[in-house]
Amino acid sequence: MDLDLDDIQAGALHERPSPYVGTYLLLRVNDRRDGRKLVRRLIPLLSPAGAGGAWLTVAFTYRGLEALGVPPESLAGFAPEFREGMAARAAILGDVGESGPENWEPPLGGPDVHIALATLAPDQASLDEAVAKARRAREEFPGVEVIWRQDCYQLPTGRTSFGFKDGIGQPAVEGLGEHPGETPIKAGEFILGYPDETGGQAPMPVPEVLGRNGTYVVFRKLHTRVAAYRRYLRDRAADRREEALLGAKMVGRWPSGAPLTLAPDGDDPSLGADPKRNNDFRYGDDLRGLKCPAGAHARRANPRDALDHEGAVDVRLHRMIRRGTSYGPPLPDGVLEDDGADRGIIFVFAGAHPRRQFEFVKTQWLNDGIFIGAPQESDPLVGRGGDFTVPRQPIRRRLRDLPPFVVTRGGEYCFAPSLSALRWIADLREMP
Amino acid sequence: MTTSRPGLSVGPTSEFSLFFHVRPGHGPALREALRELQAAPGYRDGDYDLPIATIHEARFVPFDDDTRLLFATSFDGPWDSYMDDFASKPLKLFDAIFRHVEGYDGLPDLESVKKFILSAQVTAGGYSRNYGGTVKQIRKAERVNRAFQEVLDDPAAAEALQAPALAPLLAEAAD
Ligand code: HEM
Repeated sequence: MDLDLDDIQAGALHERPSPYVGTYLLLRVNDRRDGRKLVRRLIPLLSPAGAGGAWLTVAFTYRGLEALGVPPESLAGFAPEFREGMAARAAILGDVGESGPENWEPPLGGPDVHIALATLAPDQASLDEAVAKARRAREEFPGVEVIWRQDCYQLPTGRTSFGFKDGIGQPAVEGLGEHPGETPIKAGEFILGYPDETGGQAPMPVPEVLGRNGTYVVFRKLHTRVAAYRRYLRDRAADRREEALLGAKMVGRWPSGAPLTLAPDGDDPSLGADPKRNNDFRYGDDLRGLKCPAGAHARRANPRDALDHEGAVDVRLHRMIRRGTSYGPPLPDGVLEDDGADRGIIFVFAGAHPRRQFEFVKTQWLNDGIFIGAPQESDPLVGRGGDFTVPRQPIRRRLRDLPPFVVTRGGEYCFAPSLSALRWIADLREMP
Repeated sequence: MTTSRPGLSVGPTSEFSLFFHVRPGHGPALREALRELQAAPGYRDGDYDLPIATIHEARFVPFDDDTRLLFATSFDGPWDSYMDDFASKPLKLFDAIFRHVEGYDGLPDLESVKKFILSAQVTAGGYSRNYGGTVKQIRKAERVNRAFQEVLDDPAAAEALQAPALAPLLAEAAD
């Protein structure tokens, strides 16, 4: 089935430019008429041509759809977890203690977040132009207020704050091109209104125009404790080589992006940089994890064929499109003391099934270790703290009680509707 | 024991019980389907490898003169998180059995399968286990013990186990 690409917001499906700069804005709708007018003004900006070479994406929280006056019978058809919102799901997601909603950065997780606007551009000039357009559109409508802004940009190294290239492991989506060695995932796993991997379709709100060609977007601001992470590796390694190896074992890839499975002994920058090869691998010949530990972040987040023989889980039901970006200044090389700066990633998920994709991966595969037969373990990079085992000959290495290196600063579950759905929203009228 | 989700759990393992009504007159056919399942690889007498590697054990119990059917198992992980996975594949293994119970219309789509399962699921009033650990951990423990017994059968073991680092193993070696 062909995807209706002209109706899908481009920002959801397209990889961000590299390098990139970007701005996330959160808006509150105080007057729904102004809100709808803003939606109408934004529609022409949602194509790269309209935004001057930048990608603009607009998405709504459940409260945002309510605030714009989407009728109750339509609201009722959205995914239950989206209707509850991320803050209400915090305990399930493992966002507790310092990562708990009571410690989130306002207004994240609160009742005021209605509209999320993401702008990503290849350079600062195009970004400024696109943001200025969005701002001008907003200023015409005083009933909509900007309540949060977060800038992001690709670090000069092209890597995220822990020092690793990110965004490599992405699903091949049917109708959007092939990846070497991968059977594309059905488009309905990511875009509403198309068949998914179960043969069915994600539940959709009524009328059909509101849901079809839309996608759920999850975003999370994740603070990374880079100094603590570097110090941790340094303290547990005899030399720089061992330090680099342990870092790679935790991620499942080397800093360049080269997968451990293909480069078990050392980084291979040409492999890391080669899109034809850097994602073409499986774990089937490494079930014991001697090359890439079963507990490594990327292997947890996408075990590929590692669980196929167990018959309990279908990995294809738990994939996601990731559109994460970096924020905050890099911690200069070699610094092991915390400088107090806020730095990390804006994690962005796109998919049709937030519960069985984002929430499943986060809870069953990253937070927990039951699925790899290690209930006391958690993701060494982004988990809740726990043990981490590095299989190796002759004797495995086990690290006990890793401290958490990532703190959730907040986030939201959003819905990025199609262009026709945006027109439908803009056309809403009050009941007489 | 936690009660925040459907199904009680002990450590990593949760109980999962489904109660069905057998279609009128299907009792004998159901018995036959169960006999066939019991003859399949993994379920046969002497086999241990169930096709779903994360369940500890499973039983089908026809009761009330074969008008009702219980399916009960213990599963590693919160089973409700795995509903979509079950419904999309493993349940097909039980198609021949579920055909004889009410509310089952084959497997037209995931949502109806999930409704079918949820309507049959009853959370236990009590659940306890005699050992901790997932199936994977138990399997690993079995392999390690087999290896240990092999070591003990080696005449050189008594001396080798004197090494101070091996004291915990030596403590397990006497019986
Ligand atoms: C600060 C937090 C995080 C950091 C620094 C981080 C970093 C990374 C890195 C370096 C990779 C390997 C590169 C690649 O394959 O693209 C990766 C892969 C991945 N991560 Fe994360 N990640 C974070 C949080 C998360 C979260 C919260 C999720 C999901 C809930 C997630 C899901 C994934 C997935 C699905 C992959 C790709 C695996 C594959 O297809 O092989 N990550 N991440």
